[in-house]
Amino acid sequence: MTDSAAVKLEISKNISRISLDGAGYVDARFYQDDSSETILLYDGDLEANDTTIESGIGVRVLWGGAWGFAATSDLSSLRACFDKALLNAKTASKLVEVPLFMGDKDPIKGSYSSPVAVDPFTVNLEDKLEFLTRLDADLVDDFILKRMVYANFQKKRIYFQNSDGSEINKDLVNVFGMIMVMALDSDGEMQRRSMSLYSTGDGTSGWEMITNPVLFADHSSRIKSELKELIEADALEYGRKSVILLPGQGHLQVHETIGHPLELDRILGYELSYAGGSFVTLDSFGKLRYGSDKLSASSYGSILNSPGSFGYDDDGTPERDYLLIDRGILVNALTSRAMINEANGKAGREVFRQSGGVARATSFYRAPIDRMTNVNILPGDDGTLEDIISSTEDGIVVDNPVSWSIGSNREHFHFGCEIAWEVKNGEKTRVLRNPTYQGHTLEFYNSLSAVGDKSTLRVELVDNCGKGEPNQVMQIGHGVPVVKFDDVITGERK
Amino acid sequence: MLDVNLRKILMEVRDQAASEGIQATLTLHHEKSHLMRVGNSSISLNTSENLTRLDVEVTDGRKQASQTYLGMIEGTETIKNVLDKALEKARVASPKTYDPIPDEVEESIQEESQYDEVLADLDPGIKADAYREIFSELGAKYNYSGSWSSGSVEVYMITTANRNEVYHKGTDQLFTVVLKHPEKKWELINTQTGWRASDFSVEKTVKELGRLIPVYEENPGFKVEPGEYTVIFGSDAVSEIVNISVFTGFMGRGWEEKQSWTSQNKPGDEVLGQNITLSDDPLNPQTFMFEFDMSGRKRKHFPLIENGVLMNLMYDSSTAARYGREPTGHDTRSMGIVMNTGDGFECPIEAVKDMGRVLYIPALHYMNMPSRSKGIFTGSSRFNAILVEDGKVVSPIFSTRITDSLQNVLSKVKVISSVSESVNGSNTYGRRMPVAVSVPSYIVAEGVKITDCAESF
Repeated sequence: MTDSAAVKLEISKNISRISLDGAGYVDARFYQDDSSETILLYDGDLEANDTTIESGIGVRVLWGGAWGFAATSDLSSLRACFDKALLNAKTASKLVEVPLFMGDKDPIKGSYSSPVAVDPFTVNLEDKLEFLTRLDADLVDDFILKRMVYANFQKKRIYFQNSDGSEINKDLVNVFGMIMVMALDSDGEMQRRSMSLYSTGDGTSGWEMITNPVLFADHSSRIKSELKELIEADALEYGRKSVILLPGQGHLQVHETIGHPLELDRILGYELSYAGGSFVTLDSFGKLRYGSDKLSASSYGSILNSPGSFGYDDDGTPERDYLLIDRGILVNALTSRAMINEANGKAGREVFRQSGGVARATSFYRAPIDRMTNVNILPGDDGTLEDIISSTEDGIVVDNPVSWSIGSNREHFHFGCEIAWEVKNGEKTRVLRNPTYQGHTLEFYNSLSAVGDKSTLRVELVDNCGKGEPNQVMQIGHGVPVVKFDDVITGERK
Repeated sequence: MLDVNLRKILMEVRDQAASEGIQATLTLHHEKSHLMRVGNSSISLNTSENLTRLDVEVTDGRKQASQTYLGMIEGTETIKNVLDKALEKARVASPKTYDPIPDEVEESIQEESQYDEVLADLDPGIKADAYREIFSELGAKYNYSGSWSSGSVEVYMITTANRNEVYHKGTDQLFTVVLKHPEKKWELINTQTGWRASDFSVEKTVKELGRLIPVYEENPGFKVEPGEYTVIFGSDAVSEIVNISVFTGFMGRGWEEKQSWTSQNKPGDEVLGQNITLSDDPLNPQTFMFEFDMSGRKRKHFPLIENGVLMNLMYDSSTAARYGREPTGHDTRSMGIVMNTGDGFECPIEAVKDMGRVLYIPALHYMNMPSRSKGIFTGSSRFNAILVEDGKVVSPIFSTRITDSLQNVLSKVKVISSVSESVNGSNTYGRRMPVAVSVPSYIVAEGVKITDCAESF
């Protein structure tokens, strides 16, 4: 059966059938097209020229408080796929201490399309290669040993239906890009500078995004000159000082130590055997001082052109713009329907009033779990980067992650970055290599002493967030201004 | 062997492509995956996926492209369509500056020695019963979570270079249970792995966790101050250290491009302690055996480190082509890394009875490398970690960070267990492709740098 209208009709019949059997909830996601194209130029050689095309259906059934899930790419066996999901749910329901339930919702008929001027899948390969080869040529220089130009284009056409009576169509397009240059420093250690395609938050997210020089191509000469300085730089010594994060690094800090610990399934213990838990508890909401008064963080943020913007989640909930942290106080989490019901039941009070709309699956063959959307730090009133530097006595400015290692409950972390600029008495003095910093999450955010204004904000795009069992890679965004933290451990102890 | 019809239509498309002078590789990957997930002492998710992927790679002189299809295979037309798309992309591709090494199946291989029909379609009811029994044996007062992945994989590959075929069919499972104290917040884990259903037993889990529970129940957590310590690394931690050493130290690409911690060395140099021997052994049954790689080469025992000396580097065909080397059978995601055992006691606690204060870190969480060139890694303890003094278990330890170099840790290993363990390193991102390492059940290393510690587990 390849006719999509017939498939949708069959989905509808099966949802009714399984619901009548007594299921507490049923949904199906029909991926009519899930395409991904990856192009990688390495030293100018086309090392990846790969396209993946997937299609199929994933079915979720809630029975007796437990989920069963089944997926198939064989659309001639839709009925069997629903039956398998039901059987799996019935088996799961044999061991239920804490029953899951979705709650009643009014049906939603909706659709969402990523804002796109030029669909990247309509641009032919010759034009893509010509553009990327030009970018690569800009990276060439005598001292540079390795160059990398990477682009990834994604397109998903998804039809969703559930037993609430909701029907949602989504056309999602994501574009990712990255340029990198590498060279050896005086110790024979390979150093690198890179730049990823970013968003301003209010444009479109098609081919036109990667070809916008401000967002991508214009940065090649900057990263080359920074690499040149880096290979001649001294290493960062161990100590305590202020750390100023540019958005290229700040977004990962936010991702790992605000985004993940606030995913409600982690808080409730559903990720313990793989990704880990969270130091946040249900008692923390409305009370925990997560950071200084300068810290306000949001989910989604009404950002238009980010992979963390998708219209409706895979529970059928519209994506919401709401605060997670309000002037330092933790006020909400990244939530989905079943998780808020469980959390409120467990707490014996209404901790969460409505779903945050974060249930997402990476493909038709994975079940939705709580995923961060765009988790953002709201811009502050501490001016530009230059203003923040001028108010810093002893610190470093860091950009772009090299390594990240986070404690299992997100209580502590260690980051390595590509580059640091030393700041002494309000002035940038020199470049330092091999910068690292570490800290404990709450202590760190409570040392937040400056948040840049809107002019410093970028929406960084993330294409590789891993979580869940079976494992799922998800695409998201983070709107982050320049931020400064004080008294942070930097460098490595001898 | 692969489904007769699928094999027939794949071979038909191959023959047609070969007759047209097309250089192509056709790989079929079929998985049946089942995963039961547990949270809050309940089964939270029970999944089944039945997926068939077709990968087609085309080489047109110095131009290459690949196309992957996951959907209904409705006959030769589907396969030809995927091939045509790859061909079209290859023709448009920009040529490389070197000649790619074409894929070629060296010899036909049919590998099914690690396939267990029972595990391939393990009844999820059996998994549910096992979890229930474990919860009941260890006590309802704890909060349990975990997952149990099981399934089968078929990989079939042919190329237009000849009519040889390689086929792999195998099963694998990874069982995990995490026991968490609801108030004290400590977490204990037990995992089991193998390719047979019978490799799992409830008793093993109950015995292992039952041994640790009193240590955690009866003693407060210990905060480790930064400094240098003697550390027992359990098998999971050893596998993490070995894997990261292999992938950042012994891959040809990293070495050639000066991005490896061995880049300033060459084969024949001593790079690790003399008691360290590592190899890639596709025939070691504690790994998930895979006798061919995805360029069609037969995989053999491949020494990496012998008594601390760097023996060989691993070259996939792309790196080999670029740097003028011979491919070594490492176009694979399923290596069989083996670290040789030593002569240490079976019991790690007995092994350190004369060593004073020792940290026992069975697993490392979220390892990463701030500097590949220098071999510096960082990661933190997680489950089951304990403080040992003079051979006696003293207390559990809080989440503790190690930041050190691979060379330092693997040059100061004082004891290596005489018992080997299989550690399952599979993930299920994308497609199912099981991988496991065979490592000593523990090693004891001196002078390991502890750089941070939380005040919680």
